[in-house]
Amino acid sequence: MVMSVSATELRGLRLLTHEVVGAVLGEETSYADGLLTVGEREVSAVLAHPALASVRVSCCSPGESTRIVKVLDAVEPRCKAGEGEVFPGLLGLALLAGRGDTHVLRGAAVLSAGFLPRAQEAVLQMSGAGAEFSPLSETHNVVIEFEPAPDAPWEEVAEALRLGVLRLAVHLAQAALDVPADGVEEIEALPGRGSTGLPRVVAVTNIQTQGAFKDVMVYGRSMAGSLPTWIDPCELADGAVVSAQYGHPALKNPTFVHQNNPVVAALRASEDVELAGVVLCPEPVSEGEKRLVSEHAARLCAALGADGAIVTKEGGGNADGDVALKLDALEDIGISAVGLFAEMAGRDGTAPGLVVAPTRANALISTGNYDELVRLEATDAALGGERLGIVDAAATDELEIPIAAIYGSLNPLGWNRVTCAAEL
Amino acid sequence: MRIVHYVNQFFAGVGGEEAAGHPPEVREGAVGPGRALIAQLGPDFEIVATVLCGDDYAASAPGATEELLALVREAAPDLLVAGPAFTSGRYGLACARLAAACSRAGIPAVVAMHPDNPGLDEAAPAPVIESGKIGREMRASIERLAGAIKTLARGEELREQDGRVGRVPRHNRLADRAAAPRAVELLLARLSGDRERTEVPLPSFGTITPSAPIEDPAQARIALLTESALVPMGNPDRLESARATRWLRYSLEGMDELEQGVYQSVHGGFSTVAANADPHRLLPLDVARELEREGRIGTLHGEYLVTAGNGTQVATARAFGVEWAAELRQAGVQAAILTAT
Repeated sequence: MVMSVSATELRGLRLLTHEVVGAVLGEETSYADGLLTVGEREVSAVLAHPALASVRVSCCSPGESTRIVKVLDAVEPRCKAGEGEVFPGLLGLALLAGRGDTHVLRGAAVLSAGFLPRAQEAVLQMSGAGAEFSPLSETHNVVIEFEPAPDAPWEEVAEALRLGVLRLAVHLAQAALDVPADGVEEIEALPGRGSTGLPRVVAVTNIQTQGAFKDVMVYGRSMAGSLPTWIDPCELADGAVVSAQYGHPALKNPTFVHQNNPVVAALRASEDVELAGVVLCPEPVSEGEKRLVSEHAARLCAALGADGAIVTKEGGGNADGDVALKLDALEDIGISAVGLFAEMAGRDGTAPGLVVAPTRANALISTGNYDELVRLEATDAALGGERLGIVDAAATDELEIPIAAIYGSLNPLGWNRVTCAAEL
Repeated sequence: MRIVHYVNQFFAGVGGEEAAGHPPEVREGAVGPGRALIAQLGPDFEIVATVLCGDDYAASAPGATEELLALVREAAPDLLVAGPAFTSGRYGLACARLAAACSRAGIPAVVAMHPDNPGLDEAAPAPVIESGKIGREMRASIERLAGAIKTLARGEELREQDGRVGRVPRHNRLADRAAAPRAVELLLARLSGDRERTEVPLPSFGTITPSAPIEDPAQARIALLTESALVPMGNPDRLESARATRWLRYSLEGMDELEQGVYQSVHGGFSTVAANADPHRLLPLDVARELEREGRIGTLHGEYLVTAGNGTQVATARAFGVEWAAELRQAGVQAAILTAT
């Protein structure tokens, strides 16, 4: 039977999930009984690129005495069953994604780690004190380290690495193509306006757009200079948004988090709201453009019939302005708005926490104080580098560093549990 | 409980503005508002000494806080109580700094002031208890302060219901759920009419009412101030380029202009190329001297005050403002031009 276009559109996306309980290196890539075996030679072939002199793959699991430093990105292994491609515009043509069946290796992540310009030191502790601060300390991680080719421009190195890691994520997921899924998650198509009688809510997702090494790809292209756009959460699940942003380790949104947008997931899990999709927004640097993008995003939410919106950011204090302006713009047109902020309250937590605060909206969620120091116990091994970039220490040393350096710890999309509150 | 009480020259009965330069002094027992306080506290409490100081001295003399701390220490109290300072800026700042210094030195401390007092954010880690705006509200302010002292004497923390105001230190912790589901819950609360709930109280930077214009500029003494980090070449006093913790003063005596190559900006927040080529773009000494020669302003103050306004904590900036105001008032300055970058 030939399915009509409209019938296809009415269907959402089906995630066929496979629970990963361990990851090891081996001769050939395979997935059986929850064990992911990563074929070393296949990894080299998948990542081969003239801009990369060599790559090295390692596996590390929760509870291991390992620290990963200079973490760049994290990707959840996914691939399509049958036709189509995940990460459209990067691994395949930029065709509309988010329909059909997608295999997912749950509990696993592919990480890249090493030096890139403008990247800030990002630390991930896999066990003991310090491991409680990142969700990626709880996944089985396949870690790619790399040597750039001698004369390769850094932009090419970054791109080769980014594409290689995406290909590896697909390659690993393909090992589970013929394995019966442990679970099936139906991500239904979005409900029609007013069909549930519940408040309609939009996830407004700001993404960083600050040029090379600080950019995010949407269907393979930068959003810099664009106006906000609406996107179906199913497109996100199939990798329509990929991180190419290596600054702000605690305040970045790795590709993993776009694939599993936590705000979308929480809205879907609620029985009290009607999800109206995602409005993706660039984060321009000039105030005039921030204002235009914010007011335009609010108008887009109104056109979607939104009663409420949850606004998130990516990056440091500059990006506080993008959230603050949007919250005020939404409230000004009668849409209830909640914003997620990390606080920059100084080491002792007594400074005003927001760089740019809204003036009319006031419903804010704290993802933690960026400046507070945390202790990380020494580890037996390290991946990603031998020394740290923020303090003069070996990558395996016991550390006391601001939580801002812990990868994913204050995640702006609300992925993590760290928060900040008064002592009272 | 042995208490040392800190008050300014006014509440100690030493004098008003004319006595604002009064140096630190200690008196036995309770003085002024301390007497009302002890009446409220009852027999289990004793004000063993009152430390007092003039507002200008406390807010702007170098080392004033350390001097006051030494006097408090000598009396070996269980608690330092400062104020109530109401909305008085210099007094509030002195109370807050002394309380913070005591706390850090292991002497428990509590301050009373109005939430609009510029000293509010300087007291941490010592708690601040809300007082009225003006001295006429002394009685109610003392009653609330006494209640807070009794709470502290029981070994309990001060909370909002005790009248605690200002920055309470915020610390990281793990919530039982991730931020995203908490955001959904907060949004649902907002949609059902709760307009107050939040995890991050919005900062209040207060509002400053500009002073009335000076009546006759031709008779006035005018100061030049700047946050542009303009310092002598080589930055001999090591002004920070960001997150400044101090401010500096440099002489303008006998100078008609700022020569290129003699001054530089060490500000870390903008490109200083154009400013270094002509420092008057940051500090308009040339024009100010012209106006002085033409008699359109009285005299130009003999030095300029400078800091780096770049990523400065609000509390620090507010404290600089109070110190500069005290400094300029003592120097008989009626108006100032503060250039911002």
